[in-house]
Amino acid sequence: MDMQRSKVQVMGIDAGGTMTDTFFVREDGNFVVGKAQSNPADESLAIYNSSLDALSAWQLGVDDVYPELVTCVYSGTAMLNRVVQRKGLDVGLIVNKGFEQTHSMGRAIQSYLGYALEERLHLNTHRYDEPLVPYSRTRGVTERTDVQGRVVIPLREEEMRQATRELVEAGAKAIVIVLLQSHKNPASEKRARDVCREELKRLGLDLPVFASVDYYPSRKESHRTNTTILEAYAAEPSRQTLQKVSDRFRKHGARFDLRVMATHGGTISWKAKELARTIVSGPIGGVIGSRLLGEALGYENIACSDIGGTSFDMALITKGNFAIASDPDMARLVLSLPLVAMDSVGAGAGSFVRLDPYSGSLKLGPDSAGYRVGTCWPESGLDTVSVSDCHVVLGYLNPENFLGGAIKLDVERARQHIKAQIADPLGLSVEEAAAGVIELLDLSLHEYLRSNISAKGYNPTDFVCFSYGGAGPVHTYGYTEGLGFKDVVVPAWAAGFSAFGCACADFEYRYDKSVDIALAQDGDDTQRTEACAVIQAAWDELAAKVIEEFVNNGFKAEDVTLLPGYRMQYMGQLNDLEITSPIAKASSAADWQKITDAFEDTYARVYASSARSPELGFSVTGAIMRGLVVTQKPVLPEDPEAGPQPQASAHLGKRPFYRHKRWVDADVWQMEALQPGNHIVGPAVIESDSTTFVVPDGFETYLDKHRLFHLKECARG
Amino acid sequence: MTTYTKEQVKNLVDGRLDWDTTTRMLTMPKDHERFRLYLEVLQERVSWPDRIVLPLGPALYIVQSATSKRWVTKCRCGHEFCDYRENWKLFANIHVRDTPESMREVYPTLLAPDTRWQVYREYYCPHCATQLDVEAPTPWYPVIHDFEPDIDTFYRDWLEMPLPERVD
Repeated sequence: MDMQRSKVQVMGIDAGGTMTDTFFVREDGNFVVGKAQSNPADESLAIYNSSLDALSAWQLGVDDVYPELVTCVYSGTAMLNRVVQRKGLDVGLIVNKGFEQTHSMGRAIQSYLGYALEERLHLNTHRYDEPLVPYSRTRGVTERTDVQGRVVIPLREEEMRQATRELVEAGAKAIVIVLLQSHKNPASEKRARDVCREELKRLGLDLPVFASVDYYPSRKESHRTNTTILEAYAAEPSRQTLQKVSDRFRKHGARFDLRVMATHGGTISWKAKELARTIVSGPIGGVIGSRLLGEALGYENIACSDIGGTSFDMALITKGNFAIASDPDMARLVLSLPLVAMDSVGAGAGSFVRLDPYSGSLKLGPDSAGYRVGTCWPESGLDTVSVSDCHVVLGYLNPENFLGGAIKLDVERARQHIKAQIADPLGLSVEEAAAGVIELLDLSLHEYLRSNISAKGYNPTDFVCFSYGGAGPVHTYGYTEGLGFKDVVVPAWAAGFSAFGCACADFEYRYDKSVDIALAQDGDDTQRTEACAVIQAAWDELAAKVIEEFVNNGFKAEDVTLLPGYRMQYMGQLNDLEITSPIAKASSAADWQKITDAFEDTYARVYASSARSPELGFSVTGAIMRGLVVTQKPVLPEDPEAGPQPQASAHLGKRPFYRHKRWVDADVWQMEALQPGNHIVGPAVIESDSTTFVVPDGFETYLDKHRLFHLKECARG
Repeated sequence: MTTYTKEQVKNLVDGRLDWDTTTRMLTMPKDHERFRLYLEVLQERVSWPDRIVLPLGPALYIVQSATSKRWVTKCRCGHEFCDYRENWKLFANIHVRDTPESMREVYPTLLAPDTRWQVYREYYCPHCATQLDVEAPTPWYPVIHDFEPDIDTFYRDWLEMPLPERVD
């Protein structure tokens, strides 16, 4: 060990359902990954154990490292699980009279969200989950604000007081208030909130009250209602979890302020007012990590691909930016949160493989073996073949070194299952059948990647593909072959890439608000100035919220970099685009010109110049304000080059490997022992404890100084 | 291939199967064993010895007579309607709702069809009075013969099971 050891600066946490991963990065870019069994009762303990595991590789303890950390980012699935399992707080809901059932109906779409396309087509599979708030704890009050924001029927305050009393009686631990069109005119809803608080005070109760307008002033009331309910239902309990985690860090001398990965791709404090936006974070980490990696390597256009056991997630970074979806769905709920746009297909390394007995065709997923791997793990209790079984049989995976040898896989058992379930019914050998499964998966992912890139108007040849996730590197060759990517990059730390990405994210708050501006192309200067005034008023309101959050975390207003934005579309078109504003303040007709010019530039890039349609006029649908402060980020490791020939100690031997109807002897390499500059020609398998990188015949790879593998197609040997 | 236990099929028949398993059954190709298990479960629940060949509804079956080996349509209670090729409805008790008053017994005013255009015909077992089917045709329409199954092909090509003996 070095006499003057490099300081450990950054920590990333990925608290999953079964394992809690931690990721520590030193000043010099070196990193370690730790794993521990998750502990839903006390997440802080699992994080502590996982840290011990990681730091033991550097012979360091938690008390040495926690005090010197400058940044720590948490991502986890606890809040999501709380929602999926419906184990949140008992919330009461107050809505407009006559709309008490709207929440349960979930826009009808919630009956099939999360289903694969073919299941959506079958009505008998559609089903409504239990609503977050039951009808018995929902009350309606007389009030109506119309779509223009005019109060048509004023709030009946006595009904509001009555509803509050009834909800308290019914056992509500928090009250959520959502009235129609409150994003357009918040007056009635704010009054309702105040009346509710007065009534609670009169009753001598201290229940939290959540008005949608204070949190998510967006159109689409189902989305707004769900999101505001989540804030009461799941975010408050999660805050207590994070408090515990933060307390344990403090106990071991930590001085950093714990941050949490949020859906918009930034991180926020665990003390943030809107914590519901941390409901999904894991997969986003990979996209953020890719962007940082892209910046360091000089790549603007990146296709991010992440394969885990159950799904294949992809996202596109274009001109250094990822897209944001403004009203996405998560956990079978429609929400009004800005979410890094990702596309997912339910096929991964653990997907089950079945044969349709009538058509004889293979079917992958949508369910998967998950942590139970497949029939190759005798203790799994599984008897349905998974993709991993095929990998084991064909020599892709090492049965002795799965998860670093933590579990031993039984190749013969997998062979028998493949034979009985797939090979015999199709009249194929076990190898042919297993290879057919792998080819099918590779082909589906390949097509999915290609169609997703071209459907957005791009060409794969303009992109670099990043491949990560525990199972990504096994398939990288298969889903990138022939697509013509400029480069295909596999980080040596592919399995911990999401945790790495979380640690790369900015400390960034983002607030959104719906606005309605519609202006013809030839709108006069007065109209243009008015439109700017509406945008500026929204920006001012949102900026105040952003700065308030940072001030709560001990920053000064002047430390905050504000980045205003807006969502715009041609009038009458259906899809808007999110634009980072070219101007900091909007006030004049000239400003309006800059706003529309920036939109038209983006539109031309995303679609085509010839598709621009300024004659339709312009609509602004939303105002956005992002605020950032400077934080410490991981630096990429830079190791000295060692030449193309790997050291002999890295060579673990040879293993039979089956592809394209023949067995070959593949070289097996130890990933950690390879050095920058090393060049490897397939067929080869590069193994580490947490992932396996497959380089078949016809491919070659080299490891660069940042510990990134570059995969290329070459002439067959 | 995913397979299911007889216990799960029993729960399916009773409507007590958990939703996850039910969706999986609904969305996955049907496993070969399913129909055989289904028949076994149904057979255990009837008191008569005749073998069920094909269920036609929750309480109605085409069965092979234990004594004559003729195939007949039979109610859960044991009442035999007719030869399986005939329309059993012609041998059932029929209740027709063709007035607004009788419609109001099942639907609130204005939510029921206009009986000049559509009537309900309810078919009951003459022995146990179980409602076996309801049809909603125009008033003048003949009794509908719902379904004339090609059981031979079904057993041979789809189930790959031997066809139960039949005396015509």
